[in-house]
Amino acid sequence: MFIVCFTSNLVLAQEKASPAFVKVSGEVTKPLTLYTADLAKMNKATVMLTDRDGKDHSYSGVPVLDILNSAGVTTGKQLRGENLTKYVLVKCADGYEVLFSLAELDTAFTNKMIILATESEGQPLPAGKGPFRLVIPGEGRPARSCHQVVEFVIKFAKE
Amino acid sequence: MRNALLKTVGIGGMLVCLSATVVNRQPATNTPWPLNYPSYFGNRIFIPAGNPVTEEGVYLGRRLFYETRLSVNNRISCATCHRQEYAFTDGKPFSTGVDGTLTERNSMSLANLLWIRSFFWDGRANGLEEQAKTPLTNPHEMGLSLPASAQKLQATKSYPLLFKKAFGSTMITGDLVVKALAQFERTLISCNSKYDQYLRGEYQPTASELNGISLFFANPVPGKNIRGASCGHCHGGPKTFSELFHNNGLDSLPGDAGREKITMQAIDKGRFRVVTLRNIALTAPYMHDGRFTTLSAVVDHYNEHIQESATLSIFLQNNSNTVNGRQLDLTAQEKKDLIAFLHLLTDSTFITEKRFSNPFLNK
Repeated sequence: MFIVCFTSNLVLAQEKASPAFVKVSGEVTKPLTLYTADLAKMNKATVMLTDRDGKDHSYSGVPVLDILNSAGVTTGKQLRGENLTKYVLVKCADGYEVLFSLAELDTAFTNKMIILATESEGQPLPAGKGPFRLVIPGEGRPARSCHQVVEFVIKFAKE
Repeated sequence: MRNALLKTVGIGGMLVCLSATVVNRQPATNTPWPLNYPSYFGNRIFIPAGNPVTEEGVYLGRRLFYETRLSVNNRISCATCHRQEYAFTDGKPFSTGVDGTLTERNSMSLANLLWIRSFFWDGRANGLEEQAKTPLTNPHEMGLSLPASAQKLQATKSYPLLFKKAFGSTMITGDLVVKALAQFERTLISCNSKYDQYLRGEYQPTASELNGISLFFANPVPGKNIRGASCGHCHGGPKTFSELFHNNGLDSLPGDAGREKITMQAIDKGRFRVVTLRNIALTAPYMHDGRFTTLSAVVDHYNEHIQESATLSIFLQNNSNTVNGRQLDLTAQEKKDLIAFLHLLTDSTFITEKRFSNPFLNK
């Protein structure tokens, strides 16, 4: 009985893909791998974004600042001195990458509420855009509101 | 007694010197190889700290690229499936290895690799050094382990000295073999096609070619009568690629899962890298499985044969030259114009450049 269950689990493991996650790595005290269930437990915020279709849509998700704080990134009072040379590289599943200065994601510095969205207009994100989309309200173009985020990498810029 | 002591010190000194040269470090005499490329290619290049591109490394790497002794049957080199006259592809859908079986995917063009970070159709290898290990050792390709390759080269008259010049030691390792190959590959820069000449103001395209350029880089806005094929979304910029992995609608049920096998993420099913279109007229057949033999077939695919699936690229959806159109809807002439542009990407200096050619052939 046990052997049958074990074997069938192996077969399933080969055919099923892994659940989606977002990683937080680099200059963190605690590297993270967050699954949908983990993000569901965190704070939520809703923002509006003018999409490529020219229309405004609402997006809900976790403030990126909260995600960074869970990983022990130097935000808030710690974001001073050499920490202001840190950047956050957002990596997407298809290879697309977008860069932010760490200060851009910290509400101590910016008025913008930047979120990692898991829903739009009350629905899960559509195929090709989800499960996690970065949403930066109020930018001139939506090019940085990238789809299918897989990782936040925090590093020092060393020139 | 004193003579014996002097001898011991002398021998000891020699041993220290010898052991110093066995350490794998670049000798101070290495000459940097000048990597020349147009400013519009941009400087986002990838050279690992431990393997700068040097004249000595490239000289060695070029010989290794064409060296059939690196295969178990002494008949296949890198150049067998990556032929300069085809911009380093081989004109076949799949390639035949030492055991007579076929590779799983189409041989990729080796042009402008300096701007690429992850290799293969599925991006599974980080860096050229990592990539080279697979074809060298794969039983369906060259089939020789790295230690065995190193041993073979060690036993030759010429290679130990070439390795010493490139890496400071006559002791050959598999690691140094892939490093030399990577250095040579980084020099394979293609930037003198008619399109490059046009960008430099040295070539005036025909009306058809100009329209092709316009269509290639423009997104269609049918309401405003702006015609476009949106190729630039993935194949944008003068290098004609972005480092992206997309499902370009070849199959509704992809037979080859592509990048999904690497990431284990369902959203990556049927995703393959966006390749450069440089020299594309020379690198048929096309796609990861070489299914299209002509550029015409490729353009037809993007225009009217895109297959829907859960992971179809969002760049290939809702993209039409017709209001509320379901497909790209280019005209027959527009397809010809696009292909005319694609032919501008052929770089005849790249495929004849002596520095990239087989050094073992009599000239």
